[in-house]
Amino acid sequence: MKLKGLFFVGILLICSIFAASTIELTVWTHEDPNRTLLEDRYIEEFQKLHPEVSIKRVTYPSAKIRETVLTAFSAGKGPDIFNMEVQDEYPYIVNQRVAPVNPIAMGYKNVEEIYDAYLEGTLNPVSYQGKLYGVPLEITNWCIFVNKRYTNALGMDFDNNYPKTWEALMEIADQLTVRNGEIITRRGFDFRYPYYLTFFIPMVEQLGGYLLNEDGTEAIINEKAWIDVLTFMKEWGPSGRNLGSPTYTAARKNWNKDDGSIVMCESGLYQILRLKSENPDLFHSDDWMIIPWPTFENAVNPVKGNYYGHYYMVNAQSSSEKQEWAWKLIAYMLQHTNEYFEQVGLIQPTYELMDSAVFKEFPFANVFMNDMSQAGCVLLHQAGPRLEELIREAVESVMLSGVSPENAVKTLKSKATEVLEDY
Amino acid sequence: MSRTDYPWKRTARSLRGIIFDVILLMILIVVLVPLVFMISASFMESKEVLTMPYRWIPSAFHWENYAQAIQGNDQKYYYARNIFNSLLVAITVTLSNCLFAAMTGFGLAKYRFFGRKIVLLLVMATMMIPFETIMIPLYMLVNNFGWQDSYMGLIMPFLVNAFGIFMMRQYLLTFPEDLLDAARIDGLNELAIFIRVVIPNSIPAMTALGILTFRSQWDSMLWPLLITQSEEMKTIPLYIVKFTTEKYTNEGALMAAAVIASIPLFIVFFSLAKYFIQSSSVFSGSKG
Amino acid sequence: MRSGIEKKKARWGWFFVLPAIAYFSIFSFYPIANAFHTSLYRWNLLSLNPPRFVWFENYLRLFQSEVFWNSVKATAIFTVGTFVSLLIGSLALSILIFSRKRFRSFFQMALYSPAVLSTVVAATIWLLILDPRGLGNTWMNALMGTSGKDYQWFANPDMSRISTILIYFWKYIGHFTILFIAGLSSIPNTILEAATIDGAGSWKKYWRITFPLLKPTVVLVCVLSLIQCMKSFSTQYLFVQSGAPKAPIDVLTLNIYNTAIRDHQIGRASAISVILFLTLILFSWAQLKLGRSEEVSFQ
Repeated sequence: MKLKGLFFVGILLICSIFAASTIELTVWTHEDPNRTLLEDRYIEEFQKLHPEVSIKRVTYPSAKIRETVLTAFSAGKGPDIFNMEVQDEYPYIVNQRVAPVNPIAMGYKNVEEIYDAYLEGTLNPVSYQGKLYGVPLEITNWCIFVNKRYTNALGMDFDNNYPKTWEALMEIADQLTVRNGEIITRRGFDFRYPYYLTFFIPMVEQLGGYLLNEDGTEAIINEKAWIDVLTFMKEWGPSGRNLGSPTYTAARKNWNKDDGSIVMCESGLYQILRLKSENPDLFHSDDWMIIPWPTFENAVNPVKGNYYGHYYMVNAQSSSEKQEWAWKLIAYMLQHTNEYFEQVGLIQPTYELMDSAVFKEFPFANVFMNDMSQAGCVLLHQAGPRLEELIREAVESVMLSGVSPENAVKTLKSKATEVLEDY
Repeated sequence: MSRTDYPWKRTARSLRGIIFDVILLMILIVVLVPLVFMISASFMESKEVLTMPYRWIPSAFHWENYAQAIQGNDQKYYYARNIFNSLLVAITVTLSNCLFAAMTGFGLAKYRFFGRKIVLLLVMATMMIPFETIMIPLYMLVNNFGWQDSYMGLIMPFLVNAFGIFMMRQYLLTFPEDLLDAARIDGLNELAIFIRVVIPNSIPAMTALGILTFRSQWDSMLWPLLITQSEEMKTIPLYIVKFTTEKYTNEGALMAAAVIASIPLFIVFFSLAKYFIQSSSVFSGSKG
Repeated sequence: MRSGIEKKKARWGWFFVLPAIAYFSIFSFYPIANAFHTSLYRWNLLSLNPPRFVWFENYLRLFQSEVFWNSVKATAIFTVGTFVSLLIGSLALSILIFSRKRFRSFFQMALYSPAVLSTVVAATIWLLILDPRGLGNTWMNALMGTSGKDYQWFANPDMSRISTILIYFWKYIGHFTILFIAGLSSIPNTILEAATIDGAGSWKKYWRITFPLLKPTVVLVCVLSLIQCMKSFSTQYLFVQSGAPKAPIDVLTLNIYNTAIRDHQIGRASAISVILFLTLILFSWAQLKLGRSEEVSFQ
């Protein structure tokens, strides 16, 4: 009996030694069937090249990954590698839960080389106090998608003359809108509620307003700009010219279907690939186009809609060995920027991709890149989500509840200041 | 002939019966609309699903929605495994819940012991914390046991449920004492009484509890979301949510997946329903 | 002094109850105690610094917070609306169904069908129905004789409250009707027959016999539906995600969720949970007391 026991223990010990010598990495990311196919392949290749590493890739619904990562990290069981929208990732940087990039492991000589490989400014969102904390999986900015079938029907010629200002867009949207009483059956254009940090703030900035002051102590700078934009939104909504509202189905969801419910929407380059697979008929026709993001007529600061993105990051609590392998894996996967673009529709802002033929020949890619060069990153602040909520309340109260823009701005300012006090 | 049989009373009663039936029918129509929507949408192309005004009968029967639902967007056929997971977890939890609920409810209803009221309050207290608050400590606990991404992790936190206990206690309060006393006189000990007398006579209540528990487990999403990681261990609601991701929505296939997911619930309901819509009560055996 | 038999019975009582207690100690009491404990700290979920012990400061700040009181109001409105309609509705429906001789199973099945739909799917469907171009407006327009009027199911604060109550009612009516029917089933027919022979009319039957015997079930439904309504979360969450303004439907559970997941303030979120928890215990205890005379049995 004792001999058997010893034998078992011996086997267990040997097994555990072997097990310990395999590095196990976990990667948590959001669901995306095409990217999963791609990355599963890369992971398989990587494991063949490095048999001492075993990788587990886990996917979560994009609406829910915020919770799962948060819960795991607060229990001290966070994954080794993960990505989320950068606004959600920011608190992890500030709280030092993610590790700075390891350029050697990634195959670069130093950190500067990494900065050089990527488009100017696109690594700013993950740079903090002089260190770099992530590399981009995708960056997105929005331009306006136009379904020309409906504009042509009304005699408009977008190819030669498209709206460049918000005021012009409003007029054209009004002509395109079809209603049944109060109910809108076709919208000319509608905004991408509720991503106010991405589309609303730049509109305010165009008129010279800001969300926060230089040192982040004060909120809602230049109230007149805010009031002006809110007045514009009020006129857009049900109590104004009734051109759209947050309560309708999101514009981008219906645009691909070409079903007459929406003519123009705000969306990113990734939507073009979806259009190709969902509605090849429209995609291959000449009946659609992308136009740049509008500015106000009296804009003092012609910024474009903010960009946002996903960055791959590494858990600071993982062992240094695991961290090194994690960066190696990330570098291995991300070197395939062209495939990410072609097969998944994700833009990684590397010069390599921008210069490649496949990118240059992609329809309307230049419109997006042009706008991106004039765009800033979406707000990164620990109070970001709360501030977005307050802006949402302000816009909705003006559009849906009949509050005056002046009052809405007053409320917004006092509530935002209260929020800032917590930080 | 008793007073109740005058002819005009009879017509009044049948008229009243018809009115009630009509009201019931109206309520039912409203209640059934989303269900009908789901079934008809499952055959439509996604373009058609979102079209207003809504067509109740699909223009063509797109069976490929069902194929896509089973295949998954990644063509990996995880759905079958997910259904199995949901079944395993739901059935286990239901059986365990019914057993423990009946046992504990019985103890609380029919026995006087010191601290009875406190125990009842404690049990009820566990019902009152919203899951979102305890999810992090619970997650840490389950992780410490090593049960993440496993059946144990999915089942253990739900093995015993306070709602069930409370429910069984209420039903067992009116359980006839004389049945119990008769069994005691026959020399059975309490445990035997529980198994041989109480359980068989509480089938309506236990069936109701079983159905409610099964459904609640079937639909449970937040906990499986946190505790499962590999595709093989996920449950049905997570699979359905996968179909609603930002980039690849096919509403028709989503509805098809949902229809498939509802079939087990329908089966459970149909087969168990007769156990508690009995017209003759089992208690009548205690008379005479 | 307790007699021997009584002591023996008491021990059996503990025997039946102990497994559940042991289980709950691990899986419920510990997390709840944890929540209480956390509520006394100022704790950022992601921060590596140790949380700060702040006594009851979280609670004080809550009581001074406008957002908190708005949540209380939203929860109260929603709870009263759903609770009352669910209680009356399920009781009435269960009697209606139970007194039918035919189609009992069909009616019950149909009433329960909303529960068969997964929550995610049900939300998607309702969002489509309540979209300004959807069935909700179409039918309301037909019903009220108006044309093209947008009833603003999501947009208008009062309408969005009504919408959440409506959806919740739709979802749970079958659930509670089942509970009542199970209760009705356990009333022996013999008693009701005896009453009919004695000449009692239907109403009298219900008042004197059915209702009193149904009392524990009524208490059950009251307590469960109140708890259920106050803990409601996914309906409001999905509404807000699809464009409805948050303020009118910002119930306490949604507030807890946002404070923890969005703001990472777990201490404050735990404090709100504790308040919700104590409120629920209070209400349930009150209901149990009101529903006394539990020792109704068949003689």
